[in-house]
Amino acid sequence: MRLSTTRVTRIAIAVCTAGAVLLATTACSSASDGATGATSAAVSTGTIADAAAMTPDELRAYQGASSARLADTALTPVATDPTPTLPVTVTDSQGTKVTVTDTSRILTLDVYGTLSRIVYELGLGSSMVGRDTSSNFAEIADLPNVTPGGHEVTAEAILALSPSVIVTDTSIGPWDVILQMRDAGIPVVVVDSERSLDNVGALTNQVAAALGVPDAGKTLADRTQQEVDAETAAIAKVAPATEGEKLRTVFLYVRGQSGVYYLFGEGSGADALIDGIGGYDVAKEIGWEGMRPVTDEAIIAAQPEVILMMTKGLESVGGVSGLLEKLPALAQTPAGQHQRIIDMPDSEILSFGPQSAQVLDAVAQAMYAPQQHPVAVSDQ
Amino acid sequence: MSVDVREGANRLAVGRQRPLPTNDTQASGDGDDLPPRTRRGRAAILFVALSVALVVVALVAAGSGQLRVPPLEVLGSVLRHIGIDWLPGPSHPQGDAALWDVRFPRVTMAMLVGAALAVAGAVMQGIFGNPLADPGVVGVSSGSALAASTVIVFGLTFAGSWTIALFAFAGGLVTAIAVYLLSRSQGKTEVVTLILTGIAVNAVAGAGLAFLTFLGDTQAREQIVFWQLGSLNGTRWQYVVVVLVLVVVGIAASLSFSRKLDLLSLGDRSATHLGLNVERLRAVAIVVVALLTAAAVAFCGIISFVGLVVPHMIRMIAGPGHRVLVPASALGGAVLLMLADLVARTAVAYADLPIGMITALVGGPFFFWLLRRARRSAGGWA
Repeated sequence: MRLSTTRVTRIAIAVCTAGAVLLATTACSSASDGATGATSAAVSTGTIADAAAMTPDELRAYQGASSARLADTALTPVATDPTPTLPVTVTDSQGTKVTVTDTSRILTLDVYGTLSRIVYELGLGSSMVGRDTSSNFAEIADLPNVTPGGHEVTAEAILALSPSVIVTDTSIGPWDVILQMRDAGIPVVVVDSERSLDNVGALTNQVAAALGVPDAGKTLADRTQQEVDAETAAIAKVAPATEGEKLRTVFLYVRGQSGVYYLFGEGSGADALIDGIGGYDVAKEIGWEGMRPVTDEAIIAAQPEVILMMTKGLESVGGVSGLLEKLPALAQTPAGQHQRIIDMPDSEILSFGPQSAQVLDAVAQAMYAPQQHPVAVSDQ
Repeated sequence: MSVDVREGANRLAVGRQRPLPTNDTQASGDGDDLPPRTRRGRAAILFVALSVALVVVALVAAGSGQLRVPPLEVLGSVLRHIGIDWLPGPSHPQGDAALWDVRFPRVTMAMLVGAALAVAGAVMQGIFGNPLADPGVVGVSSGSALAASTVIVFGLTFAGSWTIALFAFAGGLVTAIAVYLLSRSQGKTEVVTLILTGIAVNAVAGAGLAFLTFLGDTQAREQIVFWQLGSLNGTRWQYVVVVLVLVVVGIAASLSFSRKLDLLSLGDRSATHLGLNVERLRAVAIVVVALLTAAAVAFCGIISFVGLVVPHMIRMIAGPGHRVLVPASALGGAVLLMLADLVARTAVAYADLPIGMITALVGGPFFFWLLRRARRSAGGWA
């Protein structure tokens, strides 16, 4: 066994304080020992409501990284092949009046992959003709990827799919290509580019209205909101209640070995995520807006206790040990000292679509029941 | 007198520092030492060949792309647009849109931008009296891009599609004047001074771009990154019109003073004695270089080395006289950039490669070779 004395003690405390979950805890922690350093995916079982409640002090003392993975990625469309009411004229988020006459060939483009998920959950998945690189759930994975390079689209490749309607936001470009689509006579509906818990419903309704299925949109928006509300309530039961006890959390965007890293602040979606999981948003405390590169000293000054990251980002620096090696400043923070790094796949962590509640649940579990979700990214 | 002009221009082709009296005896088979008649013949053949290449490459470029339209249907679509229904149009439902809204403006843009960059390079080499001058190398393109980026980051639109072009021109003009003043001493620019000035200017402009990247939102940031490597993705007719106007004005002006550039290559004093207002020519030429560079940079970003490679290849074939060099460079640049863009937009499915990457891949080694050659003929790092 590789358990350190402190870890044994900690497990003992957890066992004592939560006798009812004795079996689950020990079963999972031994599984975690077996999985240490391996890439096996830690699929969560149950929800945050079943998780062992740790006290704020235990959460602060916990040592080790964890991974947030969705328990269930299956689609549950609100309708099967609904008949859109067409033609429909909508005023999109930029104030452009767009008339959609045909939804038989739908293409959605956004950097988060949220829009495609909404279309599938509305029951219109069978009309999709292509996907962006962030949309990679099983049902859509076989469609041609029109943004293989990340977030640049090319006009002819899109036209080749001859979409009858395009739903996009301003997160993908170049913008001129989107304008070319309008030149070509394809209705382009531009929806809100921001992703947060507050506008999931609005975003869902915008997409549904543009595709002529406003009722399905309302059903889906309501369902998403109910799930989020239930989830928030469940999280509130396990998360530390007072401001001072909440875990100081930051969202770091790290890519590659160059030492450039971004702190995601207000308006980036990370703020909504941290609020949603009941963490203390350090970026808000220091008035950090958008997505900007951050310096080592700013990170040390921020003293985060938990760091949220994208899985591919963590992999690109060589896992947790690689991250701590590349960014020595982290060693000067509680998060670095306790290796409290939480990763979640890039296409999910800030997507805020119909899966918002599940995403919150997965991140909350990795945060408040970390021993059950050991890190799934191996050190290289 | 015509002989004098040619000899003077020969010196330009290999660097101004060559010992004067030996003249053509050590010229290296570049076509520099040919008698005038042969050269005129060569020039004629060159123009015919370039014109044919321009037409052929334009047709190939118009007929290939990620949305497959067979050549016959492309022709059919073009004929239909002028009212002749002999051939079937594109069978793909979006075929017509792909051709007329996406591909044709883009091919036209490649042609215009290639011509603009090559002519800007030729003129710049003439007024600097230096074979290594090129809008990209000396930083005029970066200056243009920096000014144009501010339009994006701060969302300026007071002059519509022209706003970016206006800023690109202003930025290019300021940079061109700065480079000219900084790199010139005692009536000439030396190779090393020019290159070092270019490094400094590029560094400053690069820093400015980096700062704007920091200031801008995600969308602006991506646009700046896209600019730094250049791309013709997203070209629309509105932009083509703007560029067309700038390029026509720029090339017409360049042609009008091409004979004066020949005189200038004799050296400032000789040119003045022959009645040339040297300072005015330089001032006009710098404005023209900035105009042509702005035309290229405003919508397509920094595409380097076209202005370096094309004029040199033309000089090797037809000699250094500007009356041939300027128009031939325009044709050659158009052909080269259409080819480069063809690769950029068809090499990877669904993706678009940065065109600046492709031109630099070809132009980089060529530049290196030119440097070596300039060093040899100038007897060290002049």
